[in-house]
Amino acid sequence: MSQNNSIKKISTCLFLLASLFAFSQQKVTGKVTDGNSKFGLPTVTIQVKGTSNGTTSDFDGNYTITVSNADAILVFSYLGYASQEVKINKRSIINISLAENENLLNEIVVVGYGSVKKSDITGAVSSVKSEELNAFPVLDAAQALQGRAAGVSVQSNNGGEPGTPISVKIRGNTSIGASSSALIVVDGFVGANMPQANDIESLEVLKDASATAIYGSRGSNGVILVTTKKGKKGRLSVELNSTYSAQTTSERLDLLNADQFGDYQTAINPAYVRGTANTDWQDLIYKTGSTANHQLSFSGGTDKVNFYASGTYFDQDGVVLNSGFNRTSFLSNIDAQITDKLKLGFNAFGSRSEKQGISTQADTGGRGSGDVVSIAFRFSPDLGLFNANGSNSVDFLRDGIDNPVAVAKESIDETKTDNYRANFYANYDLLENLTFKTTFGFSTINETRGTYKPSTLELTAGQQGGIGAIANARMTNVLSENYLTYTKDLDKSKLTLLAGYSYQKNTTERSSAGAQGFTSDSFSYYNLGGGATPLPPASSLTETEILSQFGRLNYDYNDKYLLTLTARRDGASNFAANEKYAFFPSGAFGWKVSNEEFIKNIEQISNLKLRVSYGVTGNPSISPYQSLASFNNIYAAVGGQTVNAVVPNQSANPTLKWESSYQSNFGIDLGLFNSKISLSLDYYNIDTKDVILGDTGQPEYFGFLNNQSLKNIGEINNKGLEISLSTKNISTDNFSWKTDFNWSKNRNKMVTLIGGEDVFLNAAPGHFLRDETHLLREGEAVGVFWGYDYQGVYQGGALPTGTGTLTANAAPGDELFTDIDGDGKITSSDDRKIIGDPNQDWTMGITNTFTYKNIDLNIFFQGAYGGDIMSLTHLELANGNSNSTTEVLNAWTPSNTNTNVPSAKVRANDISSRFVYDGSYIRLKNIALGYTLPSDITKKLGMDNVRLSVSGQNLLTFTDYPGLDPEVSYKASGSQNSNVNQGFDYGNYPNIQSVSFSLNLKF
Amino acid sequence: MKTYKYLFLLIGLSIIGCSNLEEEPVGLLAPEGFFKSTKDIQTAVNGAYGHLTHENWWGRKGSLPIMLRSDMVAIGDPNTAQRRRDHDTFEVADDNGMITESWPRSYQVIAAANQAIAGAASVNVADDIKNKITAQAYFIRAFTYFQLVRLYGDIPYLDKPVTNAEEAGSISKTATADVYTNIIADLVFAKTWLPDVQPVRSMPSKASAQSYLALVYLTMGQFDNANFNKAYLEAKEVIQNEGKYQLALEPDFQNLFNADKVDASKEPLFVLDYNAFGDGDYGRDFQPALTGIRNDERNSTGGGWSVAVPTLAVYNSWNNLDYRKAVSFDDTMLYRGAVVPYTDFLGKHPSIVARPHIAKYTRHIGLSLDGNGRKSSINYAMMRYAEVLLIAAEALNETSPGSSEANGYVNRVRARARSGNGSSFPADVSGLSQSDFRTMVLEDRKWEFAFEFIRWFDITRRKMGDAPYNVFGAGGLEQRPNFNSARDYLLPIPGDELQRNPNLMPNNSGY
Repeated sequence: MSQNNSIKKISTCLFLLASLFAFSQQKVTGKVTDGNSKFGLPTVTIQVKGTSNGTTSDFDGNYTITVSNADAILVFSYLGYASQEVKINKRSIINISLAENENLLNEIVVVGYGSVKKSDITGAVSSVKSEELNAFPVLDAAQALQGRAAGVSVQSNNGGEPGTPISVKIRGNTSIGASSSALIVVDGFVGANMPQANDIESLEVLKDASATAIYGSRGSNGVILVTTKKGKKGRLSVELNSTYSAQTTSERLDLLNADQFGDYQTAINPAYVRGTANTDWQDLIYKTGSTANHQLSFSGGTDKVNFYASGTYFDQDGVVLNSGFNRTSFLSNIDAQITDKLKLGFNAFGSRSEKQGISTQADTGGRGSGDVVSIAFRFSPDLGLFNANGSNSVDFLRDGIDNPVAVAKESIDETKTDNYRANFYANYDLLENLTFKTTFGFSTINETRGTYKPSTLELTAGQQGGIGAIANARMTNVLSENYLTYTKDLDKSKLTLLAGYSYQKNTTERSSAGAQGFTSDSFSYYNLGGGATPLPPASSLTETEILSQFGRLNYDYNDKYLLTLTARRDGASNFAANEKYAFFPSGAFGWKVSNEEFIKNIEQISNLKLRVSYGVTGNPSISPYQSLASFNNIYAAVGGQTVNAVVPNQSANPTLKWESSYQSNFGIDLGLFNSKISLSLDYYNIDTKDVILGDTGQPEYFGFLNNQSLKNIGEINNKGLEISLSTKNISTDNFSWKTDFNWSKNRNKMVTLIGGEDVFLNAAPGHFLRDETHLLREGEAVGVFWGYDYQGVYQGGALPTGTGTLTANAAPGDELFTDIDGDGKITSSDDRKIIGDPNQDWTMGITNTFTYKNIDLNIFFQGAYGGDIMSLTHLELANGNSNSTTEVLNAWTPSNTNTNVPSAKVRANDISSRFVYDGSYIRLKNIALGYTLPSDITKKLGMDNVRLSVSGQNLLTFTDYPGLDPEVSYKASGSQNSNVNQGFDYGNYPNIQSVSFSLNLKF
Repeated sequence: MKTYKYLFLLIGLSIIGCSNLEEEPVGLLAPEGFFKSTKDIQTAVNGAYGHLTHENWWGRKGSLPIMLRSDMVAIGDPNTAQRRRDHDTFEVADDNGMITESWPRSYQVIAAANQAIAGAASVNVADDIKNKITAQAYFIRAFTYFQLVRLYGDIPYLDKPVTNAEEAGSISKTATADVYTNIIADLVFAKTWLPDVQPVRSMPSKASAQSYLALVYLTMGQFDNANFNKAYLEAKEVIQNEGKYQLALEPDFQNLFNADKVDASKEPLFVLDYNAFGDGDYGRDFQPALTGIRNDERNSTGGGWSVAVPTLAVYNSWNNLDYRKAVSFDDTMLYRGAVVPYTDFLGKHPSIVARPHIAKYTRHIGLSLDGNGRKSSINYAMMRYAEVLLIAAEALNETSPGSSEANGYVNRVRARARSGNGSSFPADVSGLSQSDFRTMVLEDRKWEFAFEFIRWFDITRRKMGDAPYNVFGAGGLEQRPNFNSARDYLLPIPGDELQRNPNLMPNNSGY
């Protein structure tokens, strides 16, 4: 940091603080209590209306506030309680009791760098409450978002794998080369990891540009704001949440048994020699899994300090042999009112996890490779676990694969992760209506992944004598944010101004080493020196920085007209020298129609608000150093000796900049019959310009190693409609029934590509030997499937008009395809077309909650319509090189001609519509029955609350998809085109079905 | 005063972080200031060697088509990738995956060589010291352009690193004749500066450069007969200096294809040396897998993939007395412990074909890191001394037919073949007419270098798809009715490359 800069900053701060001591003061004190329990309420916000002058109540609900105007109005607000406004009327003691919130509109909703009343929101924001997040046990709180908020889609990166990351997408795919995952902000820490579901107080999903523009360059994928629980005033409260689940795979494939398999292989190859065993490999690799989750939290506080602390232990034993995950984590939030003006807070999070992985979602399933799940489908059922000599059996039907049980049991793949985050803040009231907040946070993730493939896996590592490797990663993230908030009540209006700046730096260090040829498999990966041959080591360092200034204006006129203007200027190091900075403005206007005189009289309408917004947000999620010219090391040997070697890697790219999304949003909020029915409708249009694509416009004869340098070319459009409807159907003393429904539709379209040229992509594993599985084409949805158009089975005789077969000498029983160019031949160059669209037409979620006295029942259905699935699993199982699905029992034969399944002899290898299936589904995501002990019994037990519940997840699924599960995820993360690899099914860790028992105790 | 304390607290927290956002990559190599010593030049040259061994180049994508297009190797497994089958049957489109992946890698080799040459200019060392190193880059550049010009004809030609993308992105193709002129200039530079002998044969020596000059001129014989004389003179000079250059025919032909013995051989002139090690697709060769027999238990590799398998005609038309046939072919496999003749291969694997398989890259591959013999220890000879002898013979026959000198070169190669098994085949040649000698030497090249990626270039330079050879016609080893001599002597330049720079249009005739 240059000294000049520091001086400038210090003097700015001093200037801002200059008028700190220049006003007259009057003290008001009092106590805020809960309207029911009469307990003191801690951390209630008490604010002088129209100013930023405010304080919070202490542990017992006591507060003191200094006001400059004895006629001012105090606003008491507290999450989950109805806000109250009280005129001071020259009083010096004001005690008040707050009622728990009945009207959702008065809820406080957290927005970036502040919070507003729900009724004052002008953008598109969905809130998900704590009880929804904890309705059933989840590994990651992001999982609980699925089906809960319109426009939010949740994607597991690998089915139900223990410890798999979950990515959240908001309003479709806005990017190709950069990440499409939403930005997660936890207690103001930008880019944090999601905390435990039990620790979350509220979760806000910011969807439109007006809401996300305050996060500027990182806002275009939407933002999820997470607020963790804070200590409440009152005595020490202890809470225990315990959940135990038993889990199984949700479905299994119907595969051939040994006899059927022998018949099938004999049809292909009359010389096939049948094995003697009859093994159900799925049966052997799957088992009943379990999850245990225990959380213990303490909260409370003293006069000036409140705290929340929790510890959570999560342990999952996977449904596939030898897979599991456990994690211990803690969270602590401490807030302290140091003086009337100064509040300090400290927030710490830590976790340690261990993942016991197994190979899934293989990139290639050739000789000796392949993942446990897909090789369990493929492996010949007429082979047993072991060869006669006791070694693990191996299937040589095609390339040769090790048996799945041995692969699952004997390979080691462990990931140990430590994740720590600390965030410190200070809040200072500079003036009556001007507050300064500064936060400083630091997080670090240290990860070690160790793998070992033992020599007992003959094809995987037998020849090599065992292969071991360790990879380490250390990721640190430093964030400093500082902002001023100014509030002013004018005659009929209210003004809030926010201005601030922030700096964030991410550093990632990686290293890896490996060896093979071990004298003993018992070393695992802990004795790499004991390997005869070292594998090439690697290490790297990457750093990225973002420097930003931001501001927001909220103007509320007469509680009828709401205006929000937001702007952020971001500078990011990953972009080219002249493109480092960009400006992201947005504006929104809200009209509370229901506060107009002409509506106020209509009793049925309790709320009506119109919202319109427009703004620009960005996406900087590309790797650093992409704009710089560079050399790269490569492997080379001279005379058998490995030597240093460098090659030109990429040319300088002086124009690489942000992707920018131009988003408009139109929304209506309607409340009817005293908010018994609340409806929100949002329509949006997002034009993402300067989409970052690997530039294929630079000729390859330039000879750069990275001949796909990133360029801002291309445009994607997403438009959609979101509906949220909540109804309180019945509400009596003993019985209540309410329904929450959400529905969203997104249509996405590739508008512009480089030179209008199609971009073909490949998601098929390497051993499929297929290059083009899906594509980007102007005017089409992103990632549509590409292949031959299957027309059923050739019955012999003349080919049906407009069709053909892959081989010149068609035999009855062959696959028939549309002959698009009509040349009588089926060729890859002329006879393929778009054969499916993985983008879902719409998704929905519906939750019905019933309570009868102390019993509650929650039924949650979630569904999606219209997304196609390309099952690479079914394609592979139809190629004759492995076991097959029982579909082949209905294969064409001269005596079974009325079938859509080709002759068993047909070795399907090509991507065709035969393997594209409708992925629509509706599933009972969760059903939960709870019982809360009556309070008199609870009191006798000396407790505040006792609740028991039993729930089931994924118990019912309605779908025509013949694969394991319509929620597919092959290569949907991590790989180069993960953004645009949608709808592929291959080798996923299976999704799970579970039954859970939960206990909640509160002391 | 207390207030000030808080003030400092606030300021202390808030002033952290200011940056000019400049990226300072540590651990990444910036081009600026890289070249300081001859060691740095060598490091850049090594980059070119590294690229050559990549899967996209010699490992598989760049080499397999050269095999499959010839009349000596066909597709075995009928279900193998379409992009491979299309080369065998001459149905290649301009988006063929073998081409679209090997084309960029060829130019990455060239860019690495260009970078070494350009970088050498800024190394402050006397020419006679640094040129010895830099000359390797000239050799590699010539070697790679020679491969490209033979495969694609007119091509974009760059001889320095790209700094101005706009300019380099709008160049036109360089005519074949001009590409050859540049290749010759590079090889002359290499011949001038490279040492007579290098410590290993994976680095080019003076002899490598001169031998390639001979081959380049021989290839150019198709344009102008005068080039045959130049080819002869270059080859002859190598032969005359065989002692100084430490060149000789390997006594046992089999040793050339034995990874454990070939390092000591004096026959290879320039090799791509795989050593059962590598990083991903670097240093990863696939010939043992592509040519090996499915489920063959003979090697510890677990058999190959039966992808590139000669037609039965190749096997049947080759004299059984020829020792080189035994070295080149495996006509049996080991299956469940029993030796199985090729006629019974069917059923031993769904993808196997009942034909003898290539043995040169499976029998003695040394250590291999990956399954199916991938990442082997094979040294692939790009040129062997035997070829220099046959170049001299072929070229001399074109300028002065009927010489005993030419017979002598051929007979050296034939004698070595005989010595392998003590048979009488192939007998010495003498007294052939010019035309018979020409046919004979091309036939000898066919058997001597069988499956060594040389035959296709003999077919193209001698236009052997046409009369009188008609190698793809009715009497040929492979019948390829689809072969079109107006189109198929050249590959198409990748179609997307033409779109990236429309000045490269049109594509080669017929594509």
